[in-house]
Amino acid sequence: MSADSVDPRYVVLKFGGTSVSSKSRWQTIARLAAERYGQDLRVVVVVSALSGITNALEQLIETAASGGDAQAAAAAIADRHLRFVVGLGLAGAPGLGEWLARLAALAADPRAATRDYAWQAEVLALGELMSSTLGARVLEAAGLAVEWLDAREWLTAARLPNQSPWAARLSVSCEAAPNPAMRQALARRSPVLITQGFIARHPDGGTAILGRGGSDTSAAYLGALLAAERVEIWTDVAGMFSANPRVVPQSRLLRRLDYEEAQEIATTGAKVLHPRCLTPVREAGVPLLVKDTNRPELEGTMIGPRERENEQPGVKAISARTGITLVSMESIGMYQQVGFLADVFAIFKRHGLSIDLIGSAETNVTVSLDPTENLVNSNVIEALCRDLEPVCRVKVIAPCAAITMVGRGMRSLLATLSPVLAEFGRETVHLISQSSNDLNLTFVVAEARADLVPALHALLVRAGAMRLDDEASFGPAWSELYAPAAPRAATSPWWIARRDELLALIAHEDGPRYVYDLATVRARAAALRTALSAVDRCYYAMKANAHPAVLRAIADSGFGIECVSWAEIEAADAAIPGLAAEQLLFTPNFAPRREYERAFARGARVTVDALHPLAEWPAVFAGREIVLRVDPGHGSGHHEKVITGGDESKFGVALSDLPEARRLARAAGCRIVALHAHLGSGIGEVGTFRDLHAWLAALAEDFPEVTRINIGGGLGVPYREDDAALDLAALGAALAEVKRHYPQYRLWMEPGRYLVAEAGVLLARVTQVKRKAGRTWVGLETGMNSLIRPSLYEAWHEICNLSRLDEPADTVCEVVGPICESGDVLGEHRRLPAPREGDVILVATAGAYGAVMASRYNLREPAAEVVL
Amino acid sequence: MSLPDPRAARVFRFVRRDWCADEARVDLVYAFDDGPELVETLRFSGAPRLPAERESAFAVALDLMHWIAGVSYYKAGVPPAIACEGRVPDTETAELLDLVYTEGLAEFAHQNGLDLAGRVRFPRAEAAGPPALALGLARRALVPVGGGKDSIVTLEALRVSGEPVLAAWVGASPLIAAVVARSGLPALRVERTLSPLLFEMNRAGAWNGHIPVTAINSAILVAAAILHDADEVVFSNERSASAPTLEADGRAVNHQWSKGWDFERRFGELVERHVAADLRYYSLLRPLSELAVTRRFARHERYDDVFSSCNRNFRILGERPGSRWCGQCPKCHFVFLALAPFVPKLRLLAIFGRNLLDDPAQAAGFDALIEWNAAKPFECVGEAVESRAAFAAIATRPEWREDELVARFRTQILPRLGASVPPLDALLAPAGPHRIPARLAGFLDADR
Repeated sequence: MSADSVDPRYVVLKFGGTSVSSKSRWQTIARLAAERYGQDLRVVVVVSALSGITNALEQLIETAASGGDAQAAAAAIADRHLRFVVGLGLAGAPGLGEWLARLAALAADPRAATRDYAWQAEVLALGELMSSTLGARVLEAAGLAVEWLDAREWLTAARLPNQSPWAARLSVSCEAAPNPAMRQALARRSPVLITQGFIARHPDGGTAILGRGGSDTSAAYLGALLAAERVEIWTDVAGMFSANPRVVPQSRLLRRLDYEEAQEIATTGAKVLHPRCLTPVREAGVPLLVKDTNRPELEGTMIGPRERENEQPGVKAISARTGITLVSMESIGMYQQVGFLADVFAIFKRHGLSIDLIGSAETNVTVSLDPTENLVNSNVIEALCRDLEPVCRVKVIAPCAAITMVGRGMRSLLATLSPVLAEFGRETVHLISQSSNDLNLTFVVAEARADLVPALHALLVRAGAMRLDDEASFGPAWSELYAPAAPRAATSPWWIARRDELLALIAHEDGPRYVYDLATVRARAAALRTALSAVDRCYYAMKANAHPAVLRAIADSGFGIECVSWAEIEAADAAIPGLAAEQLLFTPNFAPRREYERAFARGARVTVDALHPLAEWPAVFAGREIVLRVDPGHGSGHHEKVITGGDESKFGVALSDLPEARRLARAAGCRIVALHAHLGSGIGEVGTFRDLHAWLAALAEDFPEVTRINIGGGLGVPYREDDAALDLAALGAALAEVKRHYPQYRLWMEPGRYLVAEAGVLLARVTQVKRKAGRTWVGLETGMNSLIRPSLYEAWHEICNLSRLDEPADTVCEVVGPICESGDVLGEHRRLPAPREGDVILVATAGAYGAVMASRYNLREPAAEVVL
Repeated sequence: MSLPDPRAARVFRFVRRDWCADEARVDLVYAFDDGPELVETLRFSGAPRLPAERESAFAVALDLMHWIAGVSYYKAGVPPAIACEGRVPDTETAELLDLVYTEGLAEFAHQNGLDLAGRVRFPRAEAAGPPALALGLARRALVPVGGGKDSIVTLEALRVSGEPVLAAWVGASPLIAAVVARSGLPALRVERTLSPLLFEMNRAGAWNGHIPVTAINSAILVAAAILHDADEVVFSNERSASAPTLEADGRAVNHQWSKGWDFERRFGELVERHVAADLRYYSLLRPLSELAVTRRFARHERYDDVFSSCNRNFRILGERPGSRWCGQCPKCHFVFLALAPFVPKLRLLAIFGRNLLDDPAQAAGFDALIEWNAAKPFECVGEAVESRAAFAAIATRPEWREDELVARFRTQILPRLGASVPPLDALLAPAGPHRIPARLAGFLDADR
């Protein structure tokens, strides 16, 4: 590209504070600029101040304004830059000295005393002026034909009506309509230009500051003015994600967004891009690309005009903003009172409060306020309410979280969203907001429930509202890019190694079979005992798998047995000769009186989870020790039907009933010696168990006779290949930490699924293959009568064609059973080697809640059990 | 090994206490009859070496600690006799110990249906010990930090007065560590390990229940003060801690007796007479009501995201408010209510992460605080009149009045309480006896 080209093409690259604060990152910047220059593009590099410098300049302003030692602050900032010159390996930095002298002069400027805004702008601008001056030297040293450009030559602050003097100087906006004269003028300069983010020319000729998100916005303005090919924002993450990756590691990179979607996502939570930088590029139709400076090879997020008008509706992202305050105003005036809203909003304006969301009804209007320091630490809310009181009945609802889903065609998605809406249905939703552009749907709930986001993200995917199969929009998961998890097992599942054995076995059997690998059971048991040394006693929850050989293997590994019915106690006794009484824990729910009597007679530890037994059958408990199951008031788990805590759950004694439970126990002459709570199933977060342990231990201190704590089970098992395995070592460490604080309590757990799920598979032959409406239905000889989890819990089990394991998986199949129920589906949209009649299909991770939940529905015998 | 049942024991023995200067560690050894030794260990990590001239005073402090800390073990069996196999306490000390073991265990006794009156009698030496000498301790206040609002008020008041302060705590609570770190003050920690045999005895059915933990911590910190060369141990117990929490069979039971004035006065005088003449033990907040303490706390925003007065979650640290405040216990209810008149509403809600006064499920908890169809909880919370005054104060405030439980108080409860609700200001004035040194008198009227 030569300077005299008729139509120069530009690219604007913006680098933030961390990207300009190390030598290696500057090498990256030089390389990226050179690459683009090599592609016949003129390059404009926009930089922020070195990291921490803008804060340091703000502090210098404070120091100078309050009469402190501003020269010392200036010297520290100068020192940082001079040391960086050395760190960059430069002999010197011509031009830098001039800025440092300016800094020293400004630090002593008499305007400091009045906190003069023009003076503040000049001070703040120095960060970028210095970093860009250093940058020009670095790029020059890298061999680029680079020229330093003062951004104030081209960016001029716009005068806006109603602008405060502060905003007119320190939070300005600029005109950014494409400027052909500028395109031509810059084409006469060097092909690589380096300039400043954050600063602009004030209409009076002085300096102005763009304020928050300023550097991104500078890049966007320059891109728009130059009608650039694109603006590239280089930051510390590969782009925008479908959720905050720190909270949802499974969130997906958003490969492509249109301006409006990106604007919504940036406004409702994503921190990677300041929302204000999108308007200039949208107006000029310039694409904006977000990229990771550390990992330039990652593809990033491309934001551009909407491409497909008739694109399928879908949710692109979900986010939560916390610290939201709602002000609900109930009108006390007349029907259709004229000017009510105008009166109300005028009061908000008077207190300097800006309203975000609005919901209204005939007699109520509710608005949301974003968090600001002023809001939390001053009496502005009290003053606001006092002024509102004469016109309405006012109520302040806080702290809240606004959970927003962003995507095109939200309204047409309502049916698809039903599982997500059901999740919100369990919460107190204070406000729902949806704008007419149909791009968002926001629910305002209690702040603590911002923790729903990971579950909601998963639900959006499962419900098909977030269409991950749209590969043009969704890229890899954050965890895949930045935290590649260890594969769930160092080795492949046992059934791959024993495939021939399994095929031979089924060949001699008539009908489907559950097959269990005891070596896997023993390995899981041993792993649990080793990792969870803080747990004094583990009881295997035999409801997960009651096969006698499985029970024996687990008992031999040192586990007790947890039973939920008298029949389970009998089965445990039959399977394990000489099972010691203290190894039996009986934890029934709504069991009849005689089961408690028998369990005590057997010598088992007995758990009571209601007041009824203590109140109505005191004689059964006289002189006994019991475990009390408490409902912690909330639950957890992989599906609503497996959550066993909370008001919706039938399990446990409510917290408010504990004093009564204690009184009844005393009256019955029995001692509560252990507290128990169980949250649910399939819990993968270590913190959940740690918190439950700590909570129960703290609760136990109100029960002097309690010496043991049972935190139940529910240890998550990876069902999908990309499910992260529960970090047993971390769990062990977390429990040990809690125990250090509560050494007086013995700790019990009741794992079930964890020991057996991966040890079992279901084998069944293909009966028929049907093609209908573009789908391939693969029928097996058994279905929900053997394995009901997919139908009951929407559980996902890996499915493979064991007969053709080595053939390419080229057919998308709906794997179903023979039961006359539409719900008899074992797996949807599974890519398998084309199955044929007689092929053996393996359903993996079926060792838990498989055979034990089987039925003879349709009078079809479920799969029999075989132990290897 | 099966342990003998302590409830069948005849005598509780103070076997010995061993001080290991090299490790700054003391082992406190107890036993029931001829049963196994119960050993409690305290480590004063980082303590400077004790000068020889303070050794005898320190030895007296260790004896006192040994005797008082024994209450944790004694209660497992409550045997009829007590034997001291090392030094025998003098009469004045023995009388205080008798009180610690009866009044301090009153709630325990009530809960377990035991009668301790006349059962506890420490052996006592005829001759009074030598009077305590002045040790020439440095002007420094050792302030026990509990992680809650009270000790923060004390720390900050002393800091503002320019007093040298050492923040101290017993145990390993990360919450306390976080509060101390936030204060930026120099700190000392005493590590305390109870005998694991005690837990085994409890599992086997020994007596268990509430113990006078402040008495134990007081004795530990008096010893720590001598080690660390500090001339004051300044607690943060307020006026209402002296009030009985319950009347049972004609006896007053105070859940927090060792936080009360009676213990403070007796223990403080004993320390000056028998341990070190220049070591003062007092509570800076003694003449203040809970509300007055709360109002003072409201000034210290910088602790908002680290402190907690909740008893439930207090030993495990979490980032979110929900892991510091359970929101369901009497302490959470009281602190929330007592802060409400004094801090901006949104700040209070940010501290707790939720609005307890807008949650109908908490109605019974707040009713108990104001003794509305319910008894005051067995916990360290303010008096009912304070809770009523706080409620009445926010009931007039526009940002609070429509919240569920405030509206309920305003429309259903307040009209029936009538004149029994004093104005807030009436409850903020300091009153009652205290041991605060004259030089700090300004603290009491600092904000009037």
